[in-house]
Amino acid sequence: MVYFILKRLVQSVFVMLAVAFLAFSLFRFVGDPITQMTGVETSVEDQERLREELGLNDPFVAQFARFTSNMLQGDFGFSYRTRQPVAEMIADRIPATLELGIVALLISLIVGIPAGVYTALRPRGAVTQTLLMTTLIGVSVPTFVIGIMLIFLFGVQLRWLPTFGRGGTVELGGWETSFLTVDGWRALILPAITLGVYQLTLTMRLVRAEMMEVMRSDYIRFATARGVPMQRLYYKHALANTMVPVITIIGLQFGGVIAFSIVTESVFQWPGMGLLFLESIRFVDIPVMGVYLVVIAFFFVIVNMIVDLLYVAIDPRLRVKEAT
Amino acid sequence: MTVFKTTTALTCGLLALSTAASAETFRWASNTDPQTMDPHAVNSAPVLSFMNNIYEGLVRRGQDMSIEPSLATSWEPLEGENGWRFTLREGVTFQDGAAFTAEDVMFSYQRASDEAADVRSWFAPVSEVRVVDDFTIDFVTTAPNPLFPDSIANFMILDKDWAESNDAALPARDAENFATMNVNGTGPFTLSSRDPGVRTVLVPHEGWWGEVQHNVTEGVFTPIGNAATGLAALLSGEIDFIQPIPLQDVAQVEGSDGFKVLEGEETRVIMFGFGHEHETLLYSEDVTDVNPFQDPRVRLAAAHAIDVASIDRVLFRGKIEPASQLVPAGISGYSEANSSRPEYNPERARELLAEAGYPDGCSFCLKCPYDRYINDEAVCRAAASMFAAVGLNAELSTGPVRDYWPQLREDDFDMYLLGWSPGTFDMEHPIRFLKHTQDDEKKLGSWNFGNFSNARIDELLQMIQQEIDPAARKAMEDDVVAISQEEVAYIPLYTQPLIWAAKDNIDMTQRADNFFMLRWVTIN
Repeated sequence: MVYFILKRLVQSVFVMLAVAFLAFSLFRFVGDPITQMTGVETSVEDQERLREELGLNDPFVAQFARFTSNMLQGDFGFSYRTRQPVAEMIADRIPATLELGIVALLISLIVGIPAGVYTALRPRGAVTQTLLMTTLIGVSVPTFVIGIMLIFLFGVQLRWLPTFGRGGTVELGGWETSFLTVDGWRALILPAITLGVYQLTLTMRLVRAEMMEVMRSDYIRFATARGVPMQRLYYKHALANTMVPVITIIGLQFGGVIAFSIVTESVFQWPGMGLLFLESIRFVDIPVMGVYLVVIAFFFVIVNMIVDLLYVAIDPRLRVKEAT
Repeated sequence: MTVFKTTTALTCGLLALSTAASAETFRWASNTDPQTMDPHAVNSAPVLSFMNNIYEGLVRRGQDMSIEPSLATSWEPLEGENGWRFTLREGVTFQDGAAFTAEDVMFSYQRASDEAADVRSWFAPVSEVRVVDDFTIDFVTTAPNPLFPDSIANFMILDKDWAESNDAALPARDAENFATMNVNGTGPFTLSSRDPGVRTVLVPHEGWWGEVQHNVTEGVFTPIGNAATGLAALLSGEIDFIQPIPLQDVAQVEGSDGFKVLEGEETRVIMFGFGHEHETLLYSEDVTDVNPFQDPRVRLAAAHAIDVASIDRVLFRGKIEPASQLVPAGISGYSEANSSRPEYNPERARELLAEAGYPDGCSFCLKCPYDRYINDEAVCRAAASMFAAVGLNAELSTGPVRDYWPQLREDDFDMYLLGWSPGTFDMEHPIRFLKHTQDDEKKLGSWNFGNFSNARIDELLQMIQQEIDPAARKAMEDDVVAISQEEVAYIPLYTQPLIWAAKDNIDMTQRADNFFMLRWVTIN
């Protein structure tokens, strides 16, 4: 087990290096940081001096080597835009993104799994049809449209919920959390729904498909024949067997939720990593973009590792294999 | 940093308790966060606009953009040499209580003119600064410089002791320093907390020397990058004011009860520029051996092809002012004598093209940014079809502004779109940056991408910069405008509108440079 985790961590270093390399090879197509850093009245001479100071005249390979070697030494550099340390900027934004991602994931599971089971058991019911229809809209309408619609309905028309930002946050040992204030939760609802709706649909449809499949299998028929109570049958025997593929997909999706919360964060001015990344693209803030992409690559590796570990926990067959 | 975070958290907690109705808290949003709290580090409008609430200069601009006394009470030309003497205001204190003297001005000059400062170009004409006594300071310039006081309206004064004792004697260049996140100015407001990109809170500076006109007890600024989110934040009542809003949202704000739109003319003139220096067109499919735009008749034909009135009606709902020159009316140096622009006349355009030897026109590439000016891409699209109607087949190429300036600097265009706001609010500014021959050494013509070059204009610029007599300077500026129009150096199109939106109960001033001053806000 420890060996497995270590192996994954070593692999993650290579993934991050590859991502950093790809990112750096693309950065020079993003634009010129110098014109974003200086005012219109700055002389060409001063611009060139700054370009030289920042090492932007160096060949791409040299810039990449400097970036990676600094990073390996724990030096993440300074933002071109704000001159703040990049590590601090990103660390400050991680709680917002993670909390949003986790709540979105919870919404998708808490609503998605029961809804999936229900629609599998009553495939022709009116509620089922409505659920399938509405969630289909959820996946086919782009995220920012859903976000803006929610904002205008609940924020502007009804004025129930805030339209932007994190509301009240409380600092807990360096972690700025929304979970401890009413205001924080109110601000979290709309962005979490916006971000979670795709996941929710996916979860529901996956659970439904798996459940219908399982319900047709022989052991369920035998269990039914033996008179096992229906509730126990559905929720213990059938549901447990649907969970393996569901966890794989949801787990993999969660990495995506964290990585691509950019759109939701932008629509709700949610001060997470995604918003920071968008601002950084606008200003061609190469150090921040580079570190962000590497951090996201790391998240992906970790999430995948957790998914693999959960497999073992859920599926007894894998444990048996490992033991032999 | 940690201190700031905690303050923010506490403020948030308190705000959560008190309701949004607390009358004197003013919340506003804009699409860009000031990158730094250091007034010398970045010469960009979001930073200078924001920092003008905290720091002050020797002079400042009033509600109508006129120059008025600030930390200097008066100024006059030096006797016997070139330059200006500033008499400083007595009894002014910084926000930490330290007294303001000429030493602070001297220190701020050294700081702002250092290589590490992005605002140092303002001090290019200065050869020496001398402290005469505690409240008198001389700025000596290499040549007579009548515009110098106007050109330093955004030169903000820091406290010498504060900056030096906090290791912020120079602006942060690559790494942050104390002045990136902390302030100590003489201005009407001071920083209460800052979380970059999220929220910045200002509170009044109790010891401010000026007469307080506002009734704001706390100002909370939030950057909101997405225009639709910003509009929703306003309409939901969470913010009191936002700058700017997109044109297409004006009707929605006006149609909502309790909100108003503030409209004005920005000083920014939008224009087309040519590749004067290019011997051939870079992107033409039919004319590949010459550059037709080197012929003034072709440039004039292009100007006659543009129907600004239609652009105004269709794309701007009647909110733009057609432009004849590179500054709008009202700016010093605006030439009334040359205030007519080439009228929309496609027949004349075709005739001119035929005269110049291009009866079938030519194809070329028109470059435009899509995220820099209001409706920039739509304007170019409209212009391209107007050009095509007379035979100038513009192939439109658009890109984000972060990629646009580098392309222009590398001469990668046949024609391009540019907007220019005169930083000093004088005609001299666009002449220096857009019309003088490119000269990196003398730092002239740095935005003259096509390198328009006219010996007489180059000569006139030198004279304009040094002419003390306003009437004589005006006559020379008139000359420059006349030559530029005759040569069709650029095609000035229109002045960009300025559109802000606020709640009805807010009284505020919209200044033509798009700066927002919290000290002019009254919450009713």
